[in-house]
Amino acid sequence: MAAENRYSRQLLISQLGEAGQEKLARSCVTVVGCGGLGSPVLTYLTLAGVGHIRLVDCDTVSETNLNRQFLYREQDIDQSKSRQAALFLKERNSKIRLEPIEAVLTEENAEQILQGSDVVVDCVDRISVRRLVGHACQKLEISLIEGGIHGFYGYVLPVQPGKSACLECLETNRAKENLPVPALGAVAGLIGSIQAVECMKVLLNLDGVHFGTLLQYDGIYGEFEEIPVKIRPDCSCQK
Amino acid sequence: MIEVRLFATFREGREKIVYFKPEEVKTAGDIIHALNIPEEEVAICLINGFHSKLDAEVKDADVLAVFPPVGGG
Repeated sequence: MAAENRYSRQLLISQLGEAGQEKLARSCVTVVGCGGLGSPVLTYLTLAGVGHIRLVDCDTVSETNLNRQFLYREQDIDQSKSRQAALFLKERNSKIRLEPIEAVLTEENAEQILQGSDVVVDCVDRISVRRLVGHACQKLEISLIEGGIHGFYGYVLPVQPGKSACLECLETNRAKENLPVPALGAVAGLIGSIQAVECMKVLLNLDGVHFGTLLQYDGIYGEFEEIPVKIRPDCSCQK
Repeated sequence: MIEVRLFATFREGREKIVYFKPEEVKTAGDIIHALNIPEEEVAICLINGFHSKLDAEVKDADVLAVFPPVGGG
């Protein structure tokens, strides 16, 4: 019997095994936003042994983050989120590469920052940044795992560039953005965990990634619903 | 009947699924107004899984799905 190590329990998963673990170790994932969704996404990708993780966030830690963003402590207030998150995660898995990127994502730098990723996980607040991430992933042909929350509600939408509906395919109505968005830690934890699972399924080339399906969670009713969504033929993702 | 599926905060004070007779409404916007949802709060409106603007026409047996904006937590 092989010696036990930190990955022993997940090596027992038939869809993963030694070959899958090597795939994870060779993978690069960029997580945009190190907040409520970013906390579980980054933690689970780190613990699972994804070899190279980029952490993109330009913000500093504030007291209002502490109800849900478990990467940070009270003494981290005013410190860079991406750097503090990398320090927290490094203590949990020193064998992987954690690359904090303290930057505001712009049209000019988005492709440069996301280039080389096997998957991008979108955990940002602003719709404008989501669009930016979406466009860059389309251009670079990188799979994207979208996630969002609002109070007791949340959704996950995995996007396969050009082949499944993207956020821009859906978001035709320019809704007024009311920030800050209401946020419950447990819901962010749940949605972020699903994003991490979908991300690892893409990295492992597994079937069953929810491309083209909006997975909606309603914490009030305690329900998940799958909503099939279709490509908009005149969307920029089809050009 | 036209089936309207409301999501997230749009369910608060309303049913999860609401039905309209085709003769009652002409467009997705008519439905949004009938439900007292401010247009600027609608981030995603799908008719049968396809994106839709609020001036899109609706017909019998259509299924609408309506979502507010979300954040990254």
